[in-house]
This record gives sequence, structure tokens and C-alpha cells, in this order.
Amino acid sequence: MTFAERMLRIDRRIIFLVIGLCTLIPLLYPVGLPIKISQEVRGVYDHIESLPEGSVFLLSLDFDPASKPELHPQSISLLRHAFKKNLRVIAMTLWVSGTGMADQVVTQVAREMGKESGKDYVFLGWSPGGTAVIINMGQDLYGAFPADYSGKPTKGLPVLQGVANLRDVNYAVSLGAGNPGVEAWYVFGKDKYKFELGGGCTGVMAPGLYPLLRSGQINGLIGGLRGAAEYEILIDQKGKAIAGMDAQSATHLAIIVLVIMCNLFYFSSRNRARQQGGEVA
Amino acid sequence: MAIEIIIGAWVATGLTLFIFTFLYKDNPLFKLAENLYVGVSVGYTIIKTYDTVVVQLIWRPIVENGEWALLVPVAIGMLMLTRYVPKAAWISRYAFAFIVGVGSGLAIPRTISSFILKQIEDTVRPLLTLVPGEGVTFTWSLLNPSSSLNTIIILIGVSSVLFYFFFSVEHTGPGKVVARTGIIFLMIAFGAAFGYTVMARMSLLIGRLTDLIEFTDPSYGRPSFWLAGLTILMLVVMARRSSSKQSKEEEK
Repeated sequence: MTFAERMLRIDRRIIFLVIGLCTLIPLLYPVGLPIKISQEVRGVYDHIESLPEGSVFLLSLDFDPASKPELHPQSISLLRHAFKKNLRVIAMTLWVSGTGMADQVVTQVAREMGKESGKDYVFLGWSPGGTAVIINMGQDLYGAFPADYSGKPTKGLPVLQGVANLRDVNYAVSLGAGNPGVEAWYVFGKDKYKFELGGGCTGVMAPGLYPLLRSGQINGLIGGLRGAAEYEILIDQKGKAIAGMDAQSATHLAIIVLVIMCNLFYFSSRNRARQQGGEVA
Repeated sequence: MAIEIIIGAWVATGLTLFIFTFLYKDNPLFKLAENLYVGVSVGYTIIKTYDTVVVQLIWRPIVENGEWALLVPVAIGMLMLTRYVPKAAWISRYAFAFIVGVGSGLAIPRTISSFILKQIEDTVRPLLTLVPGEGVTFTWSLLNPSSSLNTIIILIGVSSVLFYFFFSVEHTGPGKVVARTGIIFLMIAFGAAFGYTVMARMSLLIGRLTDLIEFTDPSYGRPSFWLAGLTILMLVVMARRSSSKQSKEEEK
């Protein structure tokens, strides 16, 4: 057996170990590789930056704990930015399994920024119906969410003053890990009720959302942990996303090297087999 | 630090390590964590759904505010439960018909408008731009999504990929060239999607490892160290047991 053939039959656990080490070492000893800000992430940042104080910002945290590593840093950055700009924040989720986590992140960032529930922000929680909830909110926000997550009636909350439905929202961002998510907010929300929409998503979903970005259906897109890291740089608050970027680069490099090596070994063993076949013939 | 946070850290660390043991091989620790994940997720969803739907959106408005009209959707929803009674299962079709009808009515026009018409509108862009004072211009920037060059690439990509999926004509001669171009565009799209998928999966690993590093802190009681040791010990014991069992079977 040649070296190439031996390498092609390598125990897959060795590859797991290599990837694990490539992730762990940069996390323990970060290098701080430069991160370039993309236009799509800047689109979301610039729009929030352009909103006047007291504008209504809706953040829909449409994900569950399975997508936490990518979307949690995004939600923290967006909430910090919105609170820093003194926007009125309406947070909610369309994913029942993410309700507790969404409440935790909103409460945690609000406390950190000295914001008060009901006055500066409200967490509406989850309501059944998926996309139907968006349509319901477009007609009557109080019909879709008669009470907030803590059980307080939404009617009369200072943060919702002058907000009757989605038409009164100045900017909405959906952080989606699937359906319902960014696409649902566009189809059943923005397209019908005409508010500005941005998106955040997991890396898996990002390629599917680029057509919406190019056509202007969404004005910005934060894709995966990389997008979260870019946003952390824009708001000048380093978090878990930036910390993970060195590890991300190292693992990508390792995977590229492995793909090239596997191809080299494959073609080398194929050529050898052909030559041997020719000799036999 | 609050005791519930410390307990949470120990549980999260233990379950993460148990799940990671699958990378070595399938084992009871992985099965335990996997089943717990499924059970807890389903339990959480049931409780949240019951509390939000049954208690807050149905029971309270009816009992406290007298909103009796809510009984109509409740009745339609209850019809679905007749699926469990074979003789009365046909009644559930009314509920399904209502849901399918309303759902289709809401979704079809909006989806056509958002995903077909808007995307066609974006694909059909002018190849040349008329700039006042400069006349007809052609922009070459690959980095600018709305440049003339990118518009041509999109036009070629969309046309060739659509032709590749057009099976009424045999892909020979010039048609073969167009279909091959379509395949190249498809491969680039798959490559981009796969690249993003790798990035996403690595992000998940980074997330878990970040937490494991955080839980090495003495304020949590260093669960990462203790539980990693315990997990490795359990894997060794299980491996020894299975090998001794195997050798006994071979002796028989």
C-alpha cells in the first residue's frame, strides 16, 4: 500500500482531532486577524444609525438554542446598538423553542444598558401561527400580542405609544435560523405593510438570502458568526463573535488543506492504479 | 455566583462532552444526551404552547373577558382531534380544508409577488446605464453587485441554468454548450452554499468550545476539567467491557 492509499484510508477520528485542535488553540491563544466589514452588514448598521431617537425598532429572534452560537452574538450586538441609539425596542420570537433564550438575551442586554421594561423596550414573547402572526401584527399588534411575555397588557405600555401595527415600525430585523424567519418577514410583513427590513441568519441560510439583498427586498444581511463579528466591530464592542474569528479562519484553512491533500492523494493513487493496470495488460 | 448558574454550567458541560463522544464512536453517553435533548425540547414546546395558547389566548379571554367568539376557532381546532377516532375521522377534513384554504389564500399571492415577480424584476436589468452628462456607460466592477458586468453574468447564469432544466430539447450542439455553462453556474452555487455550511458548522463547534473554556473557571467549579476526565474514564471502562465481552464470546 502506497503512502497516498494509506492517507486515503486514514481514521476519520484523526481528522476530527485536527479540526478540534485548529478550533481550540486559536480560542486559547487568539492572534487577532483583521476582519473586513462587508456592505451587507454595514447596511443594517447604517440604517439603525440613521434612525432618530425614539424610533420603533422591531427585533424578531426567530431561532432556538441550536443556532445560539451564530445568532446570539448577533442579537446582543443589535440590541446594544438599538439601546445605545435610544430606540424603542419591540422584541419577539416566532419560534416557541427559543422563547426563554430570547427573553434572557433581551433582559440581559437591557439591564446592561440601563433600560426599563415597558418604557424603553418590550419583549412580546411567542404567539402561535408562525407567518399568520406577522399578518396579524400587520393588522393589529395588540390582537396578536394582547400581553407581553411577563403577562402585562400591551395596550397602554409607554414603549408602544403610537404603535398600532407593523406600519408604525420604523425598522425591523429578523434573526432567522429557518422558517419562519427573514423570508417570512419579507413575504408577509414588509411586502404588505411597507416597513424597512433587515436580516440576520445562520451561515447555512445566507446564500439563499443574497437574492433578496441584491433586489433590495432586505436592506442588509448579517450572515453567521462572521457577520456578528463585523457588527461587533461596527459598534466597537468586542464579544464572542470576534473571539471566534481566529478559530474560524484556522479551521477553514485546515479544511482547505485537507481538501487539497485528499485530491492529491486520490489522483496519485488513481494514476498508480492505471499504470499498474497498463503494465498487466 | 448563583447556584442555578453553576448547575446550568455543569449540565451544559456534561451534555456537550457526552454529545462529542460520538466522534469517537456511538456509545450510551451520546444516546443519553441525545434522548435528553429531544425530550427536553418536546417538553418545553408542549408547556410553552399550553401556557400561551390554552391559558393565555383561550381560557383567560373567554373566562375573564367573555370573548365567546373564540369558541369558533377552538371548535375548528378540536375537529382535528377526531383523527384519533376512526369512525369520526372524516370530520377533521373540515378543519384541514379550512387551514389549507386560508393558508394557500394567504401564501400563494404573496409568495408569487415576493419570490417570482420581484426576482424577475431584479434579473431583468439594463446592461448599459445612461448617466446624465456621461452618456451610455458600462461598469466593469465585479465587487459592485449592480455593475453592468455582474448584470451580464447573472443574465448568462439564469438563462443557462434554466436551459439545463429544460428537458424537452436534447442537449446537443450549441444546446450542450449552454447546458454545460448552466452546470458550471450550478456547481459554483453549490460550492458557495457548501462553504457557508462549513462556516456555520464550525461556528457551532466554536460556540460549544467557547463555553467549555469559560466553564474551566474556578467560579463554576471547573466542570470542564472534571467532566472531561469523567467522560474519558467512562469511555475507557465501556471500551474495556465491550472488548472483554467480545473475547468471551470468541472463546465460546
